[in-house]
Amino acid sequence: MAIPGYKHFKSEDWVDPTPPPADLPHVDEVGSSGAPLKSASFFIGSVCQEYNEDFMLCKNEDRDPKHCLAEGRKVTRCAIDVLEKIQANCATEFRTHWQCLDNKNQSFNKCRAPEKEYNACLFKALGWKKNIPDAPANKPQIHERIPLTK
Amino acid sequence: MSNNTTTATQDLPPKGGYSTIHYERRLPKKGPSGLAMFAMCGGIMAYGWYKVYKGLDERRELDRENAWSRIHLIPMLIAEADRDEYRRKAAAVEREREIMKDVPGWEAGKSVYNGKRYVPDVIANVPLHQQPGFKKD
Repeated sequence: MAIPGYKHFKSEDWVDPTPPPADLPHVDEVGSSGAPLKSASFFIGSVCQEYNEDFMLCKNEDRDPKHCLAEGRKVTRCAIDVLEKIQANCATEFRTHWQCLDNKNQSFNKCRAPEKEYNACLFKALGWKKNIPDAPANKPQIHERIPLTK
Repeated sequence: MSNNTTTATQDLPPKGGYSTIHYERRLPKKGPSGLAMFAMCGGIMAYGWYKVYKGLDERRELDRENAWSRIHLIPMLIAEADRDEYRRKAAAVEREREIMKDVPGWEAGKSVYNGKRYVPDVIANVPLHQQPGFKKD
């Protein structure tokens, strides 16, 4: 397959089909597209906070990819776990929300109605709550406010 | 001496004097006073600025939400990219070892830099391009 206008620049030439080294423990990739990830991002961030921070501290020590493979596997497993839990408990709400994000240029602001149901379902089923860090504490968070413009 | 002179009647003000002349302007009062208009303009502007600041606040919070949404995904995305980079690098080192097996003292995958700091490869390691006798058509 080539990008139109780049027939000399075949993407197959740049694919490396070699499997990873055998001594590396297997881990499934998340394999999700952008909108579901964005929809689940705040829950991945809060539930997997320990693993994420551990991984980023490790990356801060050394940018070499092989330095943080173990921490990276934990991060990926945790993200998959969060997505699977959401899928198991709030599949329809999740789907409505991420499809809305897909249609509305991934803008949270345009999808408050599905998000409200989605957040309520997750809070009821799993006790997860969306929290935006560093937001002013004396005001309600942006996803709980009445928007100024529709 | 005849007295045939007429007695002159002098023009005099009426008894009790003239009534006062109303010389001041007597225009009907139109509209609110200057101070009131000033206060009204100030009020409208204050309301406008209040709305502007509300809008700026909302936009800042929306940007914050978007930024944190991306920040939360960064570790996961880096982890995935790292695994792929590691796999490709290991494969490239294996190919290099195979290609350079006849050269004595050759260290496959040795850094071109004289230091321990990690430097990512600038040129993509592509299997096809590293085959012996490969010719790009």
